[in-house]
Formats: sequence, structure tokens, C-alpha cells
Amino acid sequence: MTMRQRFLTFARAALVQLWLPVVLIAAWWIASSSSTSFYFPPLSAILADLWQGLTGGDLLSATGYSLRNLLLGLLVALVAGVAVGVLLGLNKAVEAATRPMLDYARAVPHVAFVPVIIVALGLGWLPKVLLIALGCVWPILLNTVDGVRGISPQVLECTRAYRIPLRLVVRRVVLPACAPQAFAGLRVALQVGMVMLIVSEMYGSTTGIGFFVLQSGENYAVTDTWAGTVLIGGLGYLLSLVLLAAEQLSLGWYFQRQPARRRGAVRVPSTERAVAS
Amino acid sequence: MTVSAQALRASAADRSLVVEGLGKSYGEGEGAHEVLAELDLRVDPGELVCIVGPSGAGKTTLLRCLAGLMPATTGRVRYGETTVSRPQAEIAVVFQDYRGSLMPWMRVRDNVAFPLEGRGVGKAERRARAEEYLAAVGLTGVSEKYPWQLSGGMQQRVAIARALAYSAPVLLMDEPFGSLDAQTRFDLEDLTHRLRAELGVTIVLVTHDIDEAAYLGDRVVVLAGSPATVVDTVEIGLGSERDQLRTKADPRFAELRGRILTEIRSGRDAV
Repeated sequence: MTMRQRFLTFARAALVQLWLPVVLIAAWWIASSSSTSFYFPPLSAILADLWQGLTGGDLLSATGYSLRNLLLGLLVALVAGVAVGVLLGLNKAVEAATRPMLDYARAVPHVAFVPVIIVALGLGWLPKVLLIALGCVWPILLNTVDGVRGISPQVLECTRAYRIPLRLVVRRVVLPACAPQAFAGLRVALQVGMVMLIVSEMYGSTTGIGFFVLQSGENYAVTDTWAGTVLIGGLGYLLSLVLLAAEQLSLGWYFQRQPARRRGAVRVPSTERAVAS
Repeated sequence: MTVSAQALRASAADRSLVVEGLGKSYGEGEGAHEVLAELDLRVDPGELVCIVGPSGAGKTTLLRCLAGLMPATTGRVRYGETTVSRPQAEIAVVFQDYRGSLMPWMRVRDNVAFPLEGRGVGKAERRARAEEYLAAVGLTGVSEKYPWQLSGGMQQRVAIARALAYSAPVLLMDEPFGSLDAQTRFDLEDLTHRLRAELGVTIVLVTHDIDEAAYLGDRVVVLAGSPATVVDTVEIGLGSERDQLRTKADPRFAELRGRILTEIRSGRDAV
């Protein structure tokens, strides 16, 4: 595609999907503009507060703290999930033995672990990173197992026929083959991670964006609470876009093929795809 | 389109591939399904032997045993004096389904070089040799592409280049041209012939296509029966120069293919 065509495709997709959010935000803006309700301040006031918090106030450092925890937690989950997922995917016996535990671990709501871990490990950043990793690891791990399982037996037979050493098979065949599924798991993990982040900061923290929202709410600084909430939503959306772009960049071979030949279900909303491409 | 002399020497065959009393069953006990029985076969260095048989006759099973991808139930496969019970460095395989055996996430060049990477060959040399073998199979300017951007015939050429890059003296090909159109198939048959002549490799090619077997082979081994065994070995004797038009119009060619077909049919009727 030429630059012009790309731009037109992008613009069309953006227009089709963005008009409704724009209309709703505009409606919110107008409807709340003369609001005198304590609990529903005007959107203009919320955004002004948000801007001030990010430029001058302590919201920026709180956001930085939260973002760092989230990214660290995701990184730990990604490394652990892919490593264990590859191991389980390649080894049926180990997978069968661990399956009940995996199903249990996945079934427990991860926020239930928040009190235990914070009581045990304290209020620092490390327990929060662990909590985020704990929530995020499952979708990545289980998707990776599925991805490894889905590798065609012919591909593996071929590596056997050519006597490719195991470490090379893992690095050059298994990891790229399961990458699309692992990425899909990572996207689910991002959503889980946002929840874990906020909950862990609301339960026991002295900083972070979750703490900011909780504390401002308790102090009846409602405009701050709104600003923090809007920021959390925006942050989550922005991170998912970044992830999609990374996925498109690193899995060119996967996305450029005819859709019919792709394996597995990786759903990519069209605006996000246009943004990413 | 010639292969360098260095590559030629590296892969010329000097030992025979021998099958002795090979039997292969799937499953065990009462429910066991016996696919091959009492199968003997000898492929001498530099020979091009085609194995034909009706579908379901165990041709692919035999090839997998030859490749060491599958253990024999009885008897053995040996290359020279080495028993082939696992994949060997001297034996390369071209699989039936090129779509399944080429890695879609690797560029063409990396696919061809992958077996060399497994042997610890350095990056620069890997790349150079991949280009060389791609040129040998008639592919230039595609090394940066992905396999799925190429036609079926080109993909199978990539798979052949990968087998050659493995520098094995024995090349096993499992119905390599089965899913290609006639013209592409003819081109690749001639390519196979030429590579055998230039490299001196031993080739065992499994096919269900009697014309292909008679056209390509120095000998054609006919499998039939259930469990399958060798019912005949046909010396083709059409010389080493073959031509899609003249060879196939040769009365001797017609006679040979008639004979093979009769044997496959009688083997099938005997079941």
C-alpha cells in the first residue's frame, strides 16, 4: 500500500469507530458543563484537574510508580508464562500432572491473593509486582501451551529429520510458532494486570494511581477521583494499543499471510489494527 | 545453474542403503496392523530408485523407516554398516507437504540454512551456502521472501534446496511432486534428475505416479499386498539422459509402465 492509501484506510477505520466515542464525550462535556452536583463535576473541571495533576501535582509520579509496577509484573509473567508454557507444551506427562493445579490456579480470583501477599510481604513495590505477575501469568501460560500443542507434527518431524538440536528447535521453531497465541495471552494479561495493579494499590499502598483514586475519594476530592479514574481508563487503552503495535511489528509473517491460513483465533479490532499498521 | 565442485564432493554417495527383512506394525497384540513385511531393498551409491505402490501400501512408512524417523518392528535398515534407527547426518528428507515442513516465520534463505544452523555453521557461510543451493534448484531473488509468498512448485524447490544444503549423500523424497500441477511436476522431475547427475547423490523417491517412477528411476521397486512387500524390481534401462517428450514417447517406456501397472494391479487383486 502507498502512504496515501494507508492513510485513507486508517482514516476511514478511525472515522467509523471513533464517531460514537467522540459524540458521547461531547455529550458528557455539554451535559455536565453547568453541573453543580458535588459528585458529578463538569468534565471540563475533571480534565483541568487531570492536566494540573499530571503537570504540577503528584499524579504524575503516582502514575509512573504504577506503570513501572505494571510493566515489571507483565514482564515477569511473560517470561515465566512462556518458559513454563513451552515446557508443558512439549512434555505431555508434565502437562497432565500439572493440569489440575493450573485449572485451580486459574479458577481462583487473583484479587483474593492481595491481602495474603501484602500481609506477608509488606507495602513496597515488590509484592505489587508479584501480585500483578500472579494474575497475568495464567492467560500467557495457558495460551502458550495451546500454541505449542498446535505446532504441526510435520514441522517437528522435519526438525527431527534434520537433527536440529533441542535448544535451537525451541528458539527457532517452538517460540516463533507459539508467539501469536502467547501475544493473545499477553493482551488478556494486560487487562488482568490493570485490575491487579489498582486493587493492590487500593488495599495497601502509600502511592500509585490506585491509591490516588482511593485517597481522593475518601477525602471527598471528587474531581481528583474522577480525574484518576479517567486516567486509568486512558492508560489501559493506550497500553493495549502499544501492545497491538508491538504484535504487528514482531509477527509480520503471521499477519501478512492470507487470513485463512492463520491458526488460532487472535481477534484484532479494526481500528486498533489500523492504528498499529 | 550448476552446483559448485566443493558441494559436489561434499555430498557424493559412497555407501549403500540396505533394507533387510524389514517389517513394520502399528499397535501391538491382536489389534496390531501390519503394514510392511519381509521387505528387502538395496540402493547403491548414486542410484535413483523409485518406490511405487497403490495408496495405503505403506510407501510413506517405508520412507520414514529409511529416514530413521520410525523404528522397524522387525529386520533393519542400514546405511553402509550403520544401523539406521534414528535420523542420520547422511540422510536428508524432502517431505510430501512442503507447506507443513517449511517454517512460515523464517525467510526462504533461513529455511534453507536451518539444517546448517543445527550443525553450528557460522552465519555468513550459512547464508552463502543457502544462496548457492537456492540457485542450484533454479531459485534466485527469493531468499528474502517468506515461503508462503511463493507458489507450490517454488516452495518444493526451497524444500529440495534445504535438503541439499544438509549436504547428505542420500536424499529421500516422499511423494514430493504429488500436489503440483503437471508442468511444474515435469520441471521438478528434470531438476531431480539433474541434481543426481551433478551431485552424485543417492535418491530414493516414493510416488504413486507410475509415469513419474518410470521416467525418473534407474530402478523402480513395486510394493504391493497387505502387508506390503516388494513384488518386483524393474530395471528401467532408458539411460541417464531423459526427456519429457522423447522418453515418454519411447516404446520401451510404454512397455515398462505397462509392466509396473500390471504388477500393482495383480498385487492389489491378490489381497
